[in-house]
Amino acid sequence: MKHFKHLQATSADQAAKEAAGGTAWVMAGGTDLLGTLKDEIFPEYPETVIDLKTIEGMDSIEEDGDALRIGALAKLSAVAESELVRQHAQALAQAAERVASPTIRHMGTLGGNVCQMHRCWYFRVPDDRFHCRRKGGKTCPARIGDNRYHSIFGDDNGCYAVSSHDTAPALVALGATVVTTKREIPAEEFFGAHGHRSNVLEDGEVVKEFRVPKTAKSAFQKFALRKSIDFPVVNCAVAQGSDRATRVVLGGVYAAPWRSKEAEEAVAGGVTAESAAKAGEAAVSVAKPLGKNAYKVDIARTLVKRTLTDLV
Amino acid sequence: MAIDNVSRRDFFKVGSIAGLAAGVAGLGIGSVLGVPEEAVAETVTVTDFVYTCPVCGAKAVDYDALVKHFEAEHPDANCGVPQCATLNINGNELKVQVEPQWTLRETLLKAVGLSGGAKEMCDRGGCGSCTVLIDGVPALACTTLAVQCEGKAIETSEGIAADERFRPLVESYAKHDTAQCGYCTPGQFTVAKYIIEKYGEPTEEQIREELAGNICRCGTYSRHVKAIQEAAAAMKGGN
Repeated sequence: MKHFKHLQATSADQAAKEAAGGTAWVMAGGTDLLGTLKDEIFPEYPETVIDLKTIEGMDSIEEDGDALRIGALAKLSAVAESELVRQHAQALAQAAERVASPTIRHMGTLGGNVCQMHRCWYFRVPDDRFHCRRKGGKTCPARIGDNRYHSIFGDDNGCYAVSSHDTAPALVALGATVVTTKREIPAEEFFGAHGHRSNVLEDGEVVKEFRVPKTAKSAFQKFALRKSIDFPVVNCAVAQGSDRATRVVLGGVYAAPWRSKEAEEAVAGGVTAESAAKAGEAAVSVAKPLGKNAYKVDIARTLVKRTLTDLV
Repeated sequence: MAIDNVSRRDFFKVGSIAGLAAGVAGLGIGSVLGVPEEAVAETVTVTDFVYTCPVCGAKAVDYDALVKHFEAEHPDANCGVPQCATLNINGNELKVQVEPQWTLRETLLKAVGLSGGAKEMCDRGGCGSCTVLIDGVPALACTTLAVQCEGKAIETSEGIAADERFRPLVESYAKHDTAQCGYCTPGQFTVAKYIIEKYGEPTEEQIREELAGNICRCGTYSRHVKAIQEAAAAMKGGN
């Protein structure tokens, strides 16, 4: 890696202040950022890397009335093993348990997983060899290139990369809120292709915690090429709130977690084996696969059906 | 000026002899710091550690000498005064010259001279061959900055192999031929220690789940399961 200064943050607000200029980048577990710095995938390079892990008290998982408050620095392994999360937000625990490998889950944080950059092999190619839309270029190479792992629901600001954070669809399905140093953002509006980022954060904004409403019934499933350590080809989270309405969210199919209103309508009358199958069909009825990823439509259809069946 | 002319080659040569003395060289485990004191005493001590000037490459025996040399010879160098971190590696407190962008794996190899434990393979956190234990929990040395590890206990496979308590693990690893090409073995071995400490007598499923992040191109996975279970039984819970 090229030289950068290292700063140990003492609080989220201090880190946000230091990062406001755009030349200092924040890092939590480092499992995503250090890889991008090694490959120098961006034309820019940070002058300073701010280590958030040194902030105390930002890794707690606690109950707060009818919601859970999970600190952004909570380790993925802690989220997966937490009794509170398992009981009140099962989909999130299941999702955290399927992120990468056990070792990475010991290092990576929930905030880091949610904020990780998109995994597109054009975006991530070393030395910025594909100067794509996300880096200020004119075209998205994935649109006519090898797009087997790309979006099946169209582009976001001209980008066909997919959101491959496992915990993101779970947070959206559970109706979580992302609390940053500046504002509170519903998880549903948090994600998308914005410059280098996979979310709506601005320079000098740091995620502090997640507020997850307690949900009695929720489930998560993931399809990846390898079970042990891999990003999802498609993942799916479903949650049934106290109003009996079911939320169906797919990951790995669009630049942000894809909430399927069509599937939700199909199971509005209750989740049964039949309505789950119909929801699968409905979810992919609006899919627009690219040249090489029509197979993902079949996976998405089946995954919606299977994950909904877990609720029955 | 206390610049010494200890060459790195001499340093590593001594290190590898000490590694052989530990009797685990067949596993690719064993180097300077992890081996028993007496094996190292007559050849190299941790204070012999070499500091290198980032500008001219001169060697210094201690950090203060390096800083003094740097300030006298290269006052205008834009890389800034060399930094140093105190790392606790296998129970030894070591003052190590680091740069902020150095990963722990780089530091263990370049600055400490531990070449056997944290191996470079993918260097992106995808394969697990650089796994070390930080405060007892497996972590990938290639995606951890060395400066983040100050004040934490770092354990590499060299240290575990030299620990008498884990002798049964070394032996069962050798007996079951878990190292085929051997490159991923130190990483797997490190996680094996964690598994034994966490579960006592782990089941096959637990071992497979915990070792999921360690990729082996030779496909020795089932041998690790056998070796760990046998060692765990021999150690009766690892105490």
